[in-house]
Amino acid sequence: MKLRVLVIIPAHNEAESIEGVLRDILHELKSVDILVVNDCSTDETVEKIQKFDKNIKILNNPFNLGYALSIQTGIKYAARHDYDFVIQMDADGQHLALEAKKLLDACVEKKADIVIGSRFKKNTGYKSPFFRRFGTKLFEGMIRIFTGKTIKDPLTGFQCLNRRTIDYYAIPGNYPEYPDAGLLIEMLMKKYKIVEVPVKMKQREAGVSMHAGFIQPIKYMITQLYTCVIIFIKFIGRTK
Amino acid sequence: MSNIPFIIIAITVILYIIISIRRDKLSVAASFGWIIFCLLMFFFAIFPTSLDNLAFSLGISYPPTLFLTICIVVLFVSNFRDDKTIDELKKKVDDLSQEVSILKGEKNDKK
Repeated sequence: MKLRVLVIIPAHNEAESIEGVLRDILHELKSVDILVVNDCSTDETVEKIQKFDKNIKILNNPFNLGYALSIQTGIKYAARHDYDFVIQMDADGQHLALEAKKLLDACVEKKADIVIGSRFKKNTGYKSPFFRRFGTKLFEGMIRIFTGKTIKDPLTGFQCLNRRTIDYYAIPGNYPEYPDAGLLIEMLMKKYKIVEVPVKMKQREAGVSMHAGFIQPIKYMITQLYTCVIIFIKFIGRTK
Repeated sequence: MSNIPFIIIAITVILYIIISIRRDKLSVAASFGWIIFCLLMFFFAIFPTSLDNLAFSLGISYPPTLFLTICIVVLFVSNFRDDKTIDELKKKVDDLSQEVSILKGEKNDKK
């Protein structure tokens, strides 16, 4: 039976990089559907996609929903249209389609619920800013303390999800603003099988990161730390 | 005489709530807690000794403290409930907007 795979790309003003990302996916992942969730871009993101390939599905958010809710929109679409797997990729060109293939293969072969494309499982030469490195180590430690499991790259959005996870994430309220360490703790505590696969990633090609600046990373850290603790308290002793 | 401001505040707020309900700006359910609060304020303003007695029976030697504490607790609870409501509404708005995106996309696919 042929597996139905949907690649979800949330995009907000990614006109400079989106074409390259789509070309890469179409070249490396032959039989997948691509869904771009346009989060109210004000540049030519949508026009570029339409010009590039008319078969690429586009969903336009009625107003700016942010990164996580845009991904969840795509996940809801996948659940509604009976896709077996979802691959989340960023529109900034960091995630490579060739590596996405590895995630999908691992998801099928290892029967994993979530496969994380990890920059730090093996040394891939990826250089990240200080805040990200610090955050990665901090949340790796928190996940280990709360669940006993090691996730080397808990902050990446490069993931492959199976049908069980798609159905869970599609429920309103089940996909938080920052779908990182807190969500991984929740899924591990709910006994979902999470596998990490080492992948290569490029540096962002264009645009501005959602964690750029000084205040945003601090807000992110504090929110995530709080989320991790509360999620642990919420789900301790619960498996459903 | 010193209780007259409280009587005026209680009556004004009750009138404001009633006008809001009549103009469909406030639901009956949402008004309930505020009306009770104003009636209590009105009652304590008319019978100040009842507040004194209640305070002394609770071991509070300065009765206005009890009144202020009640006010703070009521406002705190109300604020907490408002935050919860806003959170639930945000979740619903997010869900609806996602639904709109998907339905619009499906409509375009069918064209």
